Amino acid sequence: MPNSSSAPHEGPLEGLRVLEIGDLGEVAGKLLADAGADVIRLEPPGGGRSRHVGPFVDDDPGQPSLLHASRNTSKRAVTLDVTQTAGLAIWQRLVGLVDVVIDATTPTFLDNLGGGWQWAEGQSDLRDCVWCSITPFGRTGPRRDWVVNDLVQLALGGPMMSNGYDDHQLPPIRPDGEHSIAVSNEYAVSGLLAALWMRNAGHPGQLVDVSIHEAVSATTEGAFPNWEYFGRLVQRQTGRHSSPAPTAPWQHLAADDEHVCLINGGLPRGGASWTGLLDWMDEYDAAADLRDPQYQELLFRDPRSNPEGRLHVARTIGDFVQRLPADEVYRRGQSLHFAWGTVRRPEENLDDPHWADRDFFWEGACPGVDQPVRYPGAPYRFTRSPVRLRRRPALLGEHNHEVYVGELGLTIAELREHLEAGVV
Amino acid sequence: MRLKGCAYPVTNMPSNLPLPLDGIRVTDFSWIVAGPQATRILADLGADVVKVENESYLDSMRIGLKQDADNPSLNQSGFHSSLSRNKRSITANLFHPKGREAVERLLAVSDVVIENYSAGAFARMGFPWEHLQEINPSLIYVSVSGFGHVGRDASYGTWGPTAQAVSGATAMSGLPDQPPAGWGFSYLDHSAGYYAAIAVLMALHHRARTGEAQHVDMSQIETGMAVSAVPMLDYQVNGRTYERIGNRSRHPATAPHNTYRCAGDDRWIAIAVDDEAQWASLCDVLGLDALCDDPRFVDMTTRKAHEDELDEAIAAVTCERDPFDLMLELQGRGVPAGVCQRTDDKQERDPQLAERGFYPTAPHAELGEHRYEGLPMQFSGARWRMDRGAPLIGEHNHAVLTELLGYDEEEFASMVSELAI
Repeated sequence: MPNSSSAPHEGPLEGLRVLEIGDLGEVAGKLLADAGADVIRLEPPGGGRSRHVGPFVDDDPGQPSLLHASRNTSKRAVTLDVTQTAGLAIWQRLVGLVDVVIDATTPTFLDNLGGGWQWAEGQSDLRDCVWCSITPFGRTGPRRDWVVNDLVQLALGGPMMSNGYDDHQLPPIRPDGEHSIAVSNEYAVSGLLAALWMRNAGHPGQLVDVSIHEAVSATTEGAFPNWEYFGRLVQRQTGRHSSPAPTAPWQHLAADDEHVCLINGGLPRGGASWTGLLDWMDEYDAAADLRDPQYQELLFRDPRSNPEGRLHVARTIGDFVQRLPADEVYRRGQSLHFAWGTVRRPEENLDDPHWADRDFFWEGACPGVDQPVRYPGAPYRFTRSPVRLRRRPALLGEHNHEVYVGELGLTIAELREHLEAGVV
Repeated sequence: MRLKGCAYPVTNMPSNLPLPLDGIRVTDFSWIVAGPQATRILADLGADVVKVENESYLDSMRIGLKQDADNPSLNQSGFHSSLSRNKRSITANLFHPKGREAVERLLAVSDVVIENYSAGAFARMGFPWEHLQEINPSLIYVSVSGFGHVGRDASYGTWGPTAQAVSGATAMSGLPDQPPAGWGFSYLDHSAGYYAAIAVLMALHHRARTGEAQHVDMSQIETGMAVSAVPMLDYQVNGRTYERIGNRSRHPATAPHNTYRCAGDDRWIAIAVDDEAQWASLCDVLGLDALCDDPRFVDMTTRKAHEDELDEAIAAVTCERDPFDLMLELQGRGVPAGVCQRTDDKQERDPQLAERGFYPTAPHAELGEHRYEGLPMQFSGARWRMDRGAPLIGEHNHAVLTELLGYDEEEFASMVSELAI
């Protein structure tokens, strides 16, 4: 029987134990850790990739990495060289402590050592272990071992051909931020939680084989149905949806040199919005001919007719907003029920009081930084089981003693011996 | 089977394995993309997702991208079929007491209810959280809105591109000397859906452990900010404001790292060199041996310092090359390279996706047999399903009301005649 209630600080995954290895699963581990799971990230003694990729504190490569900080909140960190015999033996014992392994190495790395899913599957005491593999192409298939990075994954998976500019002399664009890792790790968390759900219902643990190429390929929206149902390819356009045929601009440069996004060209979805917009435009003598009843007719009576007329309305609205500061376009547009937005740089959100109302940013320590920083929080507010910052990003090997001596049962002398041999 | 025009046979998942979420029921009030993306994942994983629909709050995806524009139907959108496959549909008239009662009976036997209306709309439809708890104390409620249900701007609306603009995702996409390119689709609708599926599963785990149900308030914009931590930290720690970098790499500072035009109409290849061995192989494959000896390009630091000239020299050669041949040759030499694939490349010419069965086929009563994008994972002891496309509107009224909710045939007939469903 479940308990009657949770303690107010407990996350939804309280009690779950996770071991994370490799460089492509840090986001998945973070999502679990912030939700209350005990996630131990295992790195080689020299540190995982993200510790060696900038930006670094003070732009000094000798200082901690902010990429690492961004992906490793709430976790513990141990070091281990699993390629050494003694390291492999420790790895195998660690696996016995956890519910979930996030294996984001390569499709064969751990299996070749004798400590991968093929090994775990045969261990009767690991029957309950969920093994989540995250690799560029999955664990099977002819391109399984191809070498890629985020740019190449977003090229192969399709998003790039939908992103870019009206001018096709300019290349397809890869949005910055390693989104191939984001979307694949988000899928991975769903997959491993589903496998845990089965396990908790009495099924054995199992392998969840997540393919980054497939996760990216599944994230292209209208490109798929346009091809599958119509044989059409979508074309990239500046600041708006890719489309088989050109559409009216959605993005405009406001008077203060900031951009605004007017979804669907800024066209209204309701009569009240339209009336309010015309009144607003009149304040600037900018309504031009839009009060002509023909536009009300074409916007609301038969929205699919008269594309030229709709284009004229969109262009007139676009001309209007270029005369205003971006924030006025955003706020006043929203007050009239236009879902318009300003194009902000990410850091501009730090001081938006709306996010403070939601406690979205988590204030906490960051290695190498004297003052607390604000981390972007989780996009979900659980009313009974908070997802939150549970501990600052760990230093390399910070929890070696705690995990190896306190939980695995090594003696201090054994740990020292392994340290000296470069095993941990 | 083999589809016309497709080079590879289509393989579907074996059907004798269990579905992970078999036994979980979701009442689905979601529409457009963000909510349906979440319930698509849950339905693929085996949950019984019952989409509650009505022409007064119709999912507009049923109208867009119709296959037959001259044949008015709410069942001919392939886009909708992709997002709502494997789900069931009932129509319920919330303005009729019997229609509302049917929905409340459904909520009473559900584990989860999910909606992605503007903040407050679901409560105004008669389903505030307090009432949901009265109907079913075990019910998990996940709401997905642009700005969330809490906060001074909660009444603001978003579509994917608005959320992307405000979150910072639009600004982080594009060339440094050009306006933001943004995303060419509603990325944050999908991201919000992915996170909402996670939220449902986390809430289910919490309920299983403690017995507690809860409301999970999700914000679409926050899903964009959650993946923008690096520039936010860089700003706070190093005082740096975000500047676009196109397809180049700032961290790590590697070069070449870009897209290069190839032969053909608007064909491009992405190449990303990570070390000196890959650089030597790239020069060899492109026939640019002189570049290896050029003092501007002898190591990563000098290549990064002369990146414009470097990219120009590479593009001058790639523009004569077939992108797929070049990709295969570079990958054969261990150089990270990939064609900027179009959808037809992925669906018809990608042997990896084909062998993994990523585009399974399924029937639909009006659209016929079509391919669908798969779930990007495989289980060793379970399966995800691609049993059928989206339900026809109201297709499961009879099955859900009589088999699940306990209405007898007479009651069902009267509800139909009274337009309650």
